[in-house]
Amino acid sequence: MGGAWRRHLPAIVSAALAVVVLALPLAVSDRYLLKVFMFVGLNVITVAGLAVLFGLAGQVSLGHAAFVGIGAYACGFLTARAGWPWPAAVVAAVAIAAAGGLALALPTLRLRGHYLGMATLGFSMILGIAFVEAKAITGGNDGLSGIPLPAFGALDLDPATASYLLVWGTAVLVLLLASGIVRGRPGRAMTALHGSEMGAQACGIDPIRVKVTAFTLSAALAGLSGALYALTVGFVSPTSFALETSIILLAMVVLGGTRSLAGPVLAAVLLTLLTYVDAILPGLSKEAVAFLQDWKGDIYGVVIVAVMLFAPAGIAGVARTVRTRLGGSS
Amino acid sequence: MGVPELLQFVVSGLKNGAIYALIALGFSLVYSATGVINFAQGEFYMLGGMVAVWAMRSLGLPLLAAVPAAVVVTVAVGALVERLALRPRRFEPPLVLIIITIGVSMVLQSLARHLFGPDELALPAFTPGPSVVVLGAAIERQTLWVWGLTAVALIVLWLIYTRTKLGLAMRATAVSHDASRLVGVDTARVVMVVFALAAALGALAGVAVAPLTQTAYDVGARIGLKGFAAAILGGLGGPVAAVVGGLVLGLVESLSVAFISSTYKDAIALVLLLAVLFLKPSGLFGRSSREKV
Repeated sequence: MGGAWRRHLPAIVSAALAVVVLALPLAVSDRYLLKVFMFVGLNVITVAGLAVLFGLAGQVSLGHAAFVGIGAYACGFLTARAGWPWPAAVVAAVAIAAAGGLALALPTLRLRGHYLGMATLGFSMILGIAFVEAKAITGGNDGLSGIPLPAFGALDLDPATASYLLVWGTAVLVLLLASGIVRGRPGRAMTALHGSEMGAQACGIDPIRVKVTAFTLSAALAGLSGALYALTVGFVSPTSFALETSIILLAMVVLGGTRSLAGPVLAAVLLTLLTYVDAILPGLSKEAVAFLQDWKGDIYGVVIVAVMLFAPAGIAGVARTVRTRLGGSS
Repeated sequence: MGVPELLQFVVSGLKNGAIYALIALGFSLVYSATGVINFAQGEFYMLGGMVAVWAMRSLGLPLLAAVPAAVVVTVAVGALVERLALRPRRFEPPLVLIIITIGVSMVLQSLARHLFGPDELALPAFTPGPSVVVLGAAIERQTLWVWGLTAVALIVLWLIYTRTKLGLAMRATAVSHDASRLVGVDTARVVMVVFALAAALGALAGVAVAPLTQTAYDVGARIGLKGFAAAILGGLGGPVAAVVGGLVLGLVESLSVAFISSTYKDAIALVLLLAVLFLKPSGLFGRSSREKV
């Protein structure tokens, strides 16, 4: 096997995966299943940003669901109430989420570890209260409804397919961007920072700039995911952005493994599908589905504990071990 | 606002504050021994209340027996969690362990719903009777129990810490696991005891407050968050800081209801917390530490 082939293998596999994912609506006629896969794509977008933030810059956020919420409410309000066209609303929503990320990143720079976790947690709780109380914009507990489905001009797609393609098309672009960051200079700077802040500084890396960039970027991607959620689901309610969501998002990144993009993305896919197991295994009896939904919390918790117990370096860690055992060097 | 009304808010704030203090103490104990934020701490609080109600209703135990039984069961759960889910990975970075505690808290919450049902439940008051009136402010008898049990827990904890060999081992473990093992401290056992103590504090808070506010399988997350906030406010700096953090948080919440708005009570407490973190990143009492290269 030639070295060039081997070097390009990841890129080829990624491109093939992207084609398969984007062509999926041709093979899947079940609308519900398509919607489930769309939710997977939404989580992939958020998790890609979190993986960069946590896995590379080493920063913990316990409040990223709040940025998803900012994006969702901003996009929902601008399209449903202010009558903006959806692409402009998405751009504005991402900008607002990024601004929120920047606003939180600047004062929290001095914080590390658990204190940073608490600050992001507190920020998201405050926003959670704001989502309920700012009724004029968010509709309070009733939620924000009447968000029009995105129109694609001359393209006449059925809504489920259009939503799916919008989400996954964006997700593929986001993953390209994120892998560029991971491989490129910013990724190396973040990795250096993760190792030793002083050591990185000595090499000419400005830790403040790197951290703020990572945080703002991850907030922007969470906002993007939220904006697309609002457009494709057509309804936004405050319960979607609670602490549990933030924690599940963080769990996806940790289960996927740090210093990896593919691991967290895979974890996002698997953990999201776990929630909709009835959709991916259509042969299940009603009782089995009811049982699974009833015991969802236990299954989720046990899966998280088990992965951490048996593979604390996450999916990426397992992959690295397998590669080493097979004698490959990469 | 007159003195009695204000005092009423102070009483309510100190009642919640005492509960937050017990939870914060659990966080602080586990953190100082392991560097881990135990996200299952709130579930110990939930288990305390729920097991006590279950022991009275299903086993027919009197209150006097149900309360200690609930604490004992929760302590066993806490020790088991440490032994089965955390100890096998104790040499991993703290974040791995934190994610494990998140998984554990999901399991405990979901199991509690299966065992005890989805309904809100309440314990009877420990000593029923009219409220005690002090300077025009009414103090429920159960609130006195909350304060009393908190005080007893603090004294017992302080005695364990300062007067026993186990306490010495706990303090040594908090400083350095390696050095403690060198001088013969069984640090794994110490960590297990610390988890059991944290579970006891959580269960005690849950049992003491169950007659005042109803309890349910899902109360753990909210109270865990408050306790975590209180511990951070105190700077994760030790037992006294945790208790002060809890009382301050309770008072701020209660006084913001009195002077500003009950809608934004949680928001105000959180804004204060963020302000403390931004101005003094190591909390009210935390010592700032310099990272070594």
